[in-house]
Amino acid sequence: MTTPEPPKPSPSVTITEGKEPSTLDVSVGPQHPGSGHVRLLIRVDGDYIVSVDPDIGYVHRGCEKIAEYRTAVSNIPHLERPCIIDAIHLNWGYVLPIQELQGVVVPPRGLYISTIAAEMNRIMNHLYWVAINAGVFSGHTTIFMYAFGDRDLFIELAEMLTGARLTYSFLPPGGPRRDLPSEFQKRLTDLLDYFERRLVEYDRIFFSNPLVVARAKGIGVLKREEAIRLGVTGPVLRGSGVKYDIRKVEPYGAYPDLEFDIPTFEEGDSYARFMVRFEEMKQSIRIIRQALQKIPKGPIARKAPLIIPEGEAVGRVESSRGELTYFVMGDNSDKPSRVKIMNGSFRSLIAMPYLLRNIHIADMPIVYGSLDYWPVEADR
Amino acid sequence: MSSQNTSREEDLVNRLKARFPEAVKGSKVEGKRRITITFDKDKLLDIATYLRDELGFDHVKGVAGVDEPTHKIIKVFYFAGSLSKHEIEDVILVLETSLDRTKPVIASSVSVWPSAHFHERETFEMYGVNFEGHPDLRKLLTLDNWDGPPPMLKDLKFPEMGQR
Repeated sequence: MTTPEPPKPSPSVTITEGKEPSTLDVSVGPQHPGSGHVRLLIRVDGDYIVSVDPDIGYVHRGCEKIAEYRTAVSNIPHLERPCIIDAIHLNWGYVLPIQELQGVVVPPRGLYISTIAAEMNRIMNHLYWVAINAGVFSGHTTIFMYAFGDRDLFIELAEMLTGARLTYSFLPPGGPRRDLPSEFQKRLTDLLDYFERRLVEYDRIFFSNPLVVARAKGIGVLKREEAIRLGVTGPVLRGSGVKYDIRKVEPYGAYPDLEFDIPTFEEGDSYARFMVRFEEMKQSIRIIRQALQKIPKGPIARKAPLIIPEGEAVGRVESSRGELTYFVMGDNSDKPSRVKIMNGSFRSLIAMPYLLRNIHIADMPIVYGSLDYWPVEADR
Repeated sequence: MSSQNTSREEDLVNRLKARFPEAVKGSKVEGKRRITITFDKDKLLDIATYLRDELGFDHVKGVAGVDEPTHKIIKVFYFAGSLSKHEIEDVILVLETSLDRTKPVIASSVSVWPSAHFHERETFEMYGVNFEGHPDLRKLLTLDNWDGPPPMLKDLKFPEMGQR
């Protein structure tokens, strides 16, 4: 890949002298476009974007460094902070390699509870995305109100299950912290029935809305071969027609027992990425319903040692932004000697110089929003 | 793809060893789906090209540095995977190599795996590893006015976080 030549950082607008008198270098950001601080240095020719240089790091807090100072369990709360709306996945992915090193196997009921929590988290995350990254970025405030209202109903149930609205720290090594509370199953089933009806309305007012279709269709096309070459993941990859989902590729939790489809779209444009997430919410409903029916009785967790044995392990889950891989090294102490986080946001960063090129400035929020890029997760 | 006696993972290792008898120094197959290859750092591009073109590992998920001051080395790990080849899509192939801690230099794999672009930039910044031939090796995450050593090195300690 040839990254565009970096424009000069300041002042925020400069007129390029010399060869290309018609281009302007504009610094977009570092403001908070709905999910964390990021700056895009763009070079524009009239209304067209010529090149983009993503300048990240405004919300870098050294999670990987901090992780070397904390014990295996006390790492969980701060390792899920990079993406609080996707906390269960960030937690689960970190715990998997530790459990592998410790040789701890979570009981089936624990796996089912983790799966239910994770899929609720996926719906909440996609609702946030519908509200902000799709709705607000395309100027559609009605869907913002709808999605945020419905998201709160899921948050209330997540609080009932885990005790916290967003930052759950629900899955220490060994299994989930709590069993399903009484009434939880009924309330969740009712909520899913309600939410399924709401999704029909979402489709009517947003996803099939001619204005949204006109703005998103054919914009920011990432072809299948390019997506593979750039190594993007999650809905961005599946929007380009690659059927790759860790829940099927390397099943974990209760996913081997459950039936669900992997929505993929061939077009590779912003609208395809919109629709992948919309269809994923329907699949999550399907997964939770089955899990609630099939959930076995028995213990929910096993006692795990506090020590991480010597060795290296790689674990991964399908987070809301795609494959989330953790590489953990242990050295027979209670602290990991290295934790490496490879997440979907950081991997979709490389797609930005490709997608935010040769488009109107006005299309930038749509393409950026369709990537569901979460700056805090990328910066760690 | 795999023959009767060897698993798919061992088969991949054997093919790699047969092709690079000297450059591949060690291998580890951990259960299903995980392969670790230790290799000679000078042969990175040859091995990466072979992995991409012949075996189908078409992208890297990440590049990680690991500092080991007691052995005076910095290890670099590449996590390669396949999105296009169905038979090996669940395998993570970890390429591991050791660099001299005082002067960590290795060739950039961006020409083979463009997906390594930002990961190598991050490792350059956090561990001071110089990826030769990288098209755009600049700081990425730390502040512009940060002039200390690469922050992920073990000898840089933050007492307020509690030293090990």
